[in-house]
Amino acid sequence: MKRKLTPYIMLAPGTILMLVLVFYPILRTFLYSLQRMKLTEPGNTKFIGLQNYIMIFKDPDFWYALSNSAVILVSVVLFTAVVGMLIALLLNVDTKIKGVLMAVAIIPWSLPPIVNGVMWRWIFHPSYGLMNRVLINLYVISEPVQWLSERWSVILIVALVVAWRCIPFCSIVILSAMQSIPTQVYESACIDGSNNFQTFKRITLPLLMPSLGIVLTSTSITAINVFDEIVSLSGYGDVSKTLMLQAYLKTFSFLDYGLGSAMTYIIMVVAGVLGLIYIRNVYKEVDYI
Amino acid sequence: MRKKKTILFGTLYSLAVLVFVLFALGPILWSFIMSITPQTELVGNTTRLMPVSPTFDNYRKLLSNVDQQGELFRNGMLNSLKAAVVSLIIGIPISVLCAYPMSRLKFRGSGFVRNILLFTMAIPVFATIIPLYRMYANMDLLDNLVALIMVYITSFLPLSVWLLISYFDTLPKELEEAAYVDGCSQFRTMLSIIMPVSYPIIFADTLIVFLTTWNQFQIPLILAPSKMTKPIAVVVSEFVTKSSVDYGLMNAGGILAIIPPAIIAIIFRKFLMKGIVGGATKG
Repeated sequence: MKRKLTPYIMLAPGTILMLVLVFYPILRTFLYSLQRMKLTEPGNTKFIGLQNYIMIFKDPDFWYALSNSAVILVSVVLFTAVVGMLIALLLNVDTKIKGVLMAVAIIPWSLPPIVNGVMWRWIFHPSYGLMNRVLINLYVISEPVQWLSERWSVILIVALVVAWRCIPFCSIVILSAMQSIPTQVYESACIDGSNNFQTFKRITLPLLMPSLGIVLTSTSITAINVFDEIVSLSGYGDVSKTLMLQAYLKTFSFLDYGLGSAMTYIIMVVAGVLGLIYIRNVYKEVDYI
Repeated sequence: MRKKKTILFGTLYSLAVLVFVLFALGPILWSFIMSITPQTELVGNTTRLMPVSPTFDNYRKLLSNVDQQGELFRNGMLNSLKAAVVSLIIGIPISVLCAYPMSRLKFRGSGFVRNILLFTMAIPVFATIIPLYRMYANMDLLDNLVALIMVYITSFLPLSVWLLISYFDTLPKELEEAAYVDGCSQFRTMLSIIMPVSYPIIFADTLIVFLTTWNQFQIPLILAPSKMTKPIAVVVSEFVTKSSVDYGLMNAGGILAIIPPAIIAIIFRKFLMKGIVGGATKG
């Protein structure tokens, strides 16, 4: 009897914490999203069904933020996949400096995202930024470029900075997947007369697909929730507003808890779909034969 | 022919390494250069890349007692450190207690619990923060370090548990059988048989939890508004968003704030890599 109970007793602390601080609040957020609930009008709280959602879908600001978020998502995933793969190939080369390169590779992943944004801001700052100084010194441009005030340019920079911290994760997972491919597979390919490029395309890449799937879904979950980098690169509520930033502003600046909660739920549905894809990818097994 | 090929490869490789190192460390290096450039040279709007007379004044300001911003900064560092240490002390045992039965014991509903666990990794913190904010405000828990840490723990728990599970899954079943035959309880078996062989992954998990806690921004931004609990990430962001024009100081703050995580990443990279790979696979 006691042996049967032990697993549940062990799970209890974590489960209680998750129930109180995650699952219960998530339900509450949903209830809020169905109410008119503004802290500026405390007496006027009532159930209004899906009206918050309807209001959001009618608001051009929402579509603006959604397109920003979508572009960030796609760009982060692209940057991460391409650069992450290249760096994995680089780290796979057997040289004396391998250990040092590994340390260099892992650093961006370990740093606080908010500080990453602060540091990159000084690369792209119009008057003090490194990018403009270098380009002016090379006579590529004569006037400083306003990198951080054009909508799409900020968005791409945000995507770059987010990718900067996702790439190490991608490279390391890909690298370990590469190294777990048995050498016999390569030997037989060589005997069959396959050249390097063919081998990479026909053998390495397909075998890496499952790991790449996991990495890219988890990267897209990160990308849809981006908040820190935007705040430090361009402040709150600028041209670079995303869904997450919008939800934050609606809730904590305009104090409209109902609307903010509804926006959060929309983001959560997107993240949830990505989460389901993630679970599916994690359970896929790799077969080498 | 062969020699030509190696030279070509060598050149390409060095070039790739150079680009890679610049990309990974460039922003940090530039931020450091700005932090040692005197304010007069910064606003002079030169196209120069290195300061003429570098100075460590900004660091002195942040670390000594003369400046109000220094006090704010040091408080932030201390708050982050406290939060990280307490998160580890409470969070790691809870993670192990959750992971062990999910991996090694049979019980009803274990598959369901596993899926829920994976799914919670996708839930944005923000989906919980609005009710949490109200709850904490009503119970007078805003700015309470322990209450804040509880939220941190729930935010890293799914990943941390998953990491441990994927390692426990790889251990052979026979490990525990002898202990069970001797009549050891499941809890005893976990402590005396599984723990000793799992220290590398538990250490990796500890490092990852330290990093995620140190890097928290959104949660404390909302739940820890006063300077008594505000972590360094929030303090640094305020250097940027609030009126300050002291760019050198801002960069010095950023550089100091990344020193602890960067050192951990460099020294313990092997453990971290193990953790990163373990967390992203089934095991």
